[in-house]
Amino acid sequence: MNIVVLVKQVPDSGAERSLRADDNTVDRGAASNVINEMDEYAIEEALKITEAHGGEVTVLTMGPAGASDSIRKALSMGPAKAVHIVDDALRGSCAVSTSKVIAAALGGLNADIILCGSESTDGRVQVLPHMLAERLGVAALTGARKLTVDGSTLTIERQTDEGYEVVTASTPAVVSVWDTINEPRYPSFKGIMAAKKKPVDTKSLADLGVDASEVGFAGATSTVLDHAQRPPRSAGQKVVDEGDGGVKLVEYLATEKFV
Amino acid sequence: MDFSLSDEERAIRDTVRSFVVKEVLPLEDTVLRRERAHEPGLHLEELRELQQKARKFGFWGLATPEEYGGMGLPAVVQSLIWTELGRTIVPFRFGGEADNILFYANDAQKEEFLLPTIEGTRISCFAITEPGAGSDAANITMSARQDGDDWILNGEKTFITNGNEADFAIVVAVTDRSLGARKGGATAFLVDRSMGWRSEFIQTMGEGGPASLIFEDVRVPSRNILGEVGKGFELGMQWIGKGRYTIPSHAIGIAERALEMALAHARSRETFGRAIGENQAIQWMIADSEVELEAARMLVLRAAWTVDSGRDPRHASSMAKLYGASMVNNVVDRVLQIHGGMGYTRELPIERWYRQVRLYRIFEGTDEMQRLIISRDLLRGYTMIGL
Repeated sequence: MNIVVLVKQVPDSGAERSLRADDNTVDRGAASNVINEMDEYAIEEALKITEAHGGEVTVLTMGPAGASDSIRKALSMGPAKAVHIVDDALRGSCAVSTSKVIAAALGGLNADIILCGSESTDGRVQVLPHMLAERLGVAALTGARKLTVDGSTLTIERQTDEGYEVVTASTPAVVSVWDTINEPRYPSFKGIMAAKKKPVDTKSLADLGVDASEVGFAGATSTVLDHAQRPPRSAGQKVVDEGDGGVKLVEYLATEKFV
Repeated sequence: MDFSLSDEERAIRDTVRSFVVKEVLPLEDTVLRRERAHEPGLHLEELRELQQKARKFGFWGLATPEEYGGMGLPAVVQSLIWTELGRTIVPFRFGGEADNILFYANDAQKEEFLLPTIEGTRISCFAITEPGAGSDAANITMSARQDGDDWILNGEKTFITNGNEADFAIVVAVTDRSLGARKGGATAFLVDRSMGWRSEFIQTMGEGGPASLIFEDVRVPSRNILGEVGKGFELGMQWIGKGRYTIPSHAIGIAERALEMALAHARSRETFGRAIGENQAIQWMIADSEVELEAARMLVLRAAWTVDSGRDPRHASSMAKLYGASMVNNVVDRVLQIHGGMGYTRELPIERWYRQVRLYRIFEGTDEMQRLIISRDLLRGYTMIGL
């Protein structure tokens, strides 16, 4: 089973994050950058599948040169190799153009399963897995909380607000996962020491045959025009109990449509 | 000069950091609650469980050589790890460790003492300090008198870390009074608790406490001598030397965490209509703490690097221990002051650190002993200024 895991480097969601004032993109310079949390679950799932069924896991990342840190971290968890798409023209890419670039990179990788997180903690648009499947002409098994592999048949439990749906498809397919699917392993000591020696293939847009005008700011189908800080929390409303405190509270809840 | 960590060093540190955040930090409330009720913060089974969890991804035996199943890490990496462990009040440490001098054991002793200690099925303690011999360890009087193929041990050891829990002790005793401890008169013995020594708990201002070990005609066979007869003092000094960079490494972690708490408090706590962090008095405490913290970090990492590079680490390690211990006391004191009354309560871990870190200026070489080592090496020309 040949599995490619999409790994994105994002600003640490546990720290202060901001957008750049000049072009409204994520400020990667100011943030401490980490692997998108959901992608760690995708890596874990890929490793579990290859441990059970054999095969190889490849990490695929599109991102600036600094994303190599996250690639090494991903490799230290166990994957065999990585592909890093890095090109200055990619800055400002929207989800549509990102899916074009990643689809182009996947062309040469011969993946049976393309695993990824259901969303990234910076963009949170949740559309990339679907777009990718569409571009590749393969099934999209999205939002998995469980994945079973039986020969070339993949079955997922798709997590929904009400419960789950069982969805089946044949390989190749794109599978996106939620953080309910497993418990990602820690990079092992041996894995950390081995990660440096694992091959990372760097690809430019030219290598992938994608024209720079189709991606980045130039090819973006959506652009963030403006942004503002979330306003500070306003002071709450005080209810003084003069014998009718209960009624006042219920009235408040009713006005706010909580009851 | 390159101050950056290598990819591997960073990856190891980050892995430990995420393990501490995910697995250890959640226990902090429980530890504080238990300690307030005068119970041990972390039970031995809980510690073992965490250690086994870390073992699954290869974090086992930081200092233990690879042939014994450990990681055999360089001192710099061990230092980085001890710093990460200092960031939690939970008394967690990775498993798979044994006293550095136990590796001098012969094959039979390795089977009986070293391997089970690494595995965690036996607990050791190291006993050199006596009521009349602390910093002047060469003045120990515990006697070991030969009787046929056995040795009879009599005397008392005190302030022995792990002494309450240990099932064997590495005991340095006087085997030839005419020679003096330094000159071949002291020998290290591996003494099972079942051979007859007993321990008494010593209450301290910190959580938990060391023990006094009492030996009354404890009979120890010759095969339990660690190393050679007459080499006990050297082994003892080697045991103590190890702590000279691990203790300040831990101190750095404590200071980092405490200072982060102080920053958060200075930003959010308002008095007289503004955050206290806007007051210069608070800003100066923060600045002084950060400068000292960074200075300690440099001294500690350099000491660890000195160990790794095969140079005599004594001078660098003494400076790191002296300064690191002083730094953490200063920082915790300021952090407590910034927190005001809240810092003094047992709701927060600050007062706990305050009690804990006072020991750092005392154990495994007091401030005064470190100063003595530093200055004497300079005065006799063994160490040159600026090198």
